[in-house]
Amino acid sequence: MNTSIRIGWLYPDLMSTYGDRGNVIVLQKRCEWRGIDVEVVPVTLETQITKLQCCDLIFMGGAQDRQQKLVGVDFLKNKGPVVKEMVEKGIPALFVCAAYQFVGHYYKPYQGEKIPGAGIFDLVTVHPGDQAKRLIGNVVAEVIMLNNKSIVGFENHGGRTYLGPKMKPFARVKRGFGNNGEDGYEGAVYKNAIGSYFHGPLLPKNPHIADWLIAKALEVKYGKQIALKELDDSLEWQAHNQMI
Amino acid sequence: MIGKFAYLLLRSLGFGAGTWPGEIAIRINPHILSSFASQFRKGIILVAGTNGKTTTALMIKTILEAQGLSVVHNASGANLVNGIVSACIPTASWKGVINADYGVFEVDENSLPIVIKFLKSVKSKVVIVLLNLFRDQLDRYGEVDVIAQKWERALRGSNAIIIANADDPLVAHLGLHAKTTFFGINDKTKFLPKMEHATDSIFCLHCGARLAYEGVYFSHLGIWKCPKCGEKRPKPDIFRVKSPLPGLYNYYNTLAAMSVAKTLGITMDLAGLHPAFGRQEEIGNVKIFLSKNPVGFNQSLRTVLELGAKQLLLIVNDRIPDGRDISWIWDVDFEMIPKHVSVIVSGDRVFDLALRLKYAGIQATISKRLGDALETDKTLYVLPTYSAMLEVRKILSGNRIL
Repeated sequence: MNTSIRIGWLYPDLMSTYGDRGNVIVLQKRCEWRGIDVEVVPVTLETQITKLQCCDLIFMGGAQDRQQKLVGVDFLKNKGPVVKEMVEKGIPALFVCAAYQFVGHYYKPYQGEKIPGAGIFDLVTVHPGDQAKRLIGNVVAEVIMLNNKSIVGFENHGGRTYLGPKMKPFARVKRGFGNNGEDGYEGAVYKNAIGSYFHGPLLPKNPHIADWLIAKALEVKYGKQIALKELDDSLEWQAHNQMI
Repeated sequence: MIGKFAYLLLRSLGFGAGTWPGEIAIRINPHILSSFASQFRKGIILVAGTNGKTTTALMIKTILEAQGLSVVHNASGANLVNGIVSACIPTASWKGVINADYGVFEVDENSLPIVIKFLKSVKSKVVIVLLNLFRDQLDRYGEVDVIAQKWERALRGSNAIIIANADDPLVAHLGLHAKTTFFGINDKTKFLPKMEHATDSIFCLHCGARLAYEGVYFSHLGIWKCPKCGEKRPKPDIFRVKSPLPGLYNYYNTLAAMSVAKTLGITMDLAGLHPAFGRQEEIGNVKIFLSKNPVGFNQSLRTVLELGAKQLLLIVNDRIPDGRDISWIWDVDFEMIPKHVSVIVSGDRVFDLALRLKYAGIQATISKRLGDALETDKTLYVLPTYSAMLEVRKILSGNRIL
């Protein structure tokens, strides 16, 4: 059957630090290579929410402070509640770095008031201050819901994220810090939405995660599991294994 | 001032010892840069920005020396305070006396504020060139805005003459409330068809609204204006020059150098210019274009393709000078490489690079041995990150550091 996916990319002009657009490129190409029609829908400050509501897969990346402030009001007031609804309905999503923090309940900076998040994920992030070390470096972890298959990436965050009871951790850290450097977990999963601190970006060297998201998007859209054509991922795994 | 004995030691270390002499000197006398700086007879020129510092500083040095002026200049990359001090030591006498007309120093983005501080007491001319601010290595430097804010604070109350890029909103903003000479490009034919991805600072620094562009030359450089508060690209004083090096980014560097020449009342003569370390440097059939961040890489790619490149060698390492996180290669528009150009990849992160190219629709040849990849009887354009550039030069020119 002829299948198609619309990928909603939130704030591509503002929240796209450090190669995060690679995640969208990977999702797009892996659909194209399989003959799945794919459209990337940029969702900016000015975009109407109806465009977002038509999407089958959501991606939101990291941002620097100034850009995030600019996004703040629009996400909390306009786009965030829509994303929350979609995530509750089972639409798959990937939130990376600043987005991962932003979809939680709040972000507590070292000094100053808590910054409210969109409350899509049951988690909070706290910044312990400049004296605490920043969590930076190459990371290797094992994805719990994918039979402990490994993922590799690079983390770079000052905030420590703590998961609430509604969240399941995404992966067990084998090397690196993860969410907070304490509990041994990285990222989080809720319904079909994944949050992660991994740059790299996440998906190129972890094609199994990209395919999981694509498969889920098709499943939710067409109401049945659709097997994905296998692709030659030898280069992906060569790059992946080099980091282990 | 440093004691004579320590000084002799430092001087004997001064040749080929990198930034160590400067580091030691600073420990003995933390204000040594001030002492050195105030001795340049005619003045000091600082060059700051994410891309183009080395080439621009070299151009300025070439212009000054062509007029018979003596110049002290820091080696590429030695652009922290210790590097600048190290550059001064070999030319200073036992008593720490410098006998030179000008100091021309490229300055690292994060070090500019402290260098400006050390130059406060300088009585001769201080000229500060602000080239651009792009997203560079986030895992080393953090955010572009934070740097711009620090620069703004440092420049407040400074008597320095500012030379700034009108086409870069972030940098132009810094020059708007000072006595500034602006340079920029006035050529609509050079506008890109649409904005590139690796873009920062497309929002007004004054009021936060999204900037509107009449046209973009590359990244966030172009004819910009804030539709909300009206802040807009200042008219450049210097906008036309003959550039000795290819590429739009070098046109900006040449405009900056010309702005300095005009400010100092000196003829612009770049006949004696030799390309800097790894910047359009030619060694045999190999042409090296240092590429260390998305904007620089995009510009290098565009330039070499314009020059008719048929063979590219891309090298990405992840050592300390390159930045350990190479996620940024996904912000480079490799998709612009046409099918008829053959691409070889190498470096510490060769598989990541090959993977990036795969997703750009390009089948790259993986070369694990750099020496092999460099052997060619055709023209080869090499685009390496910093440590890879040093390796390439070493392989091509034997073990001497050129």
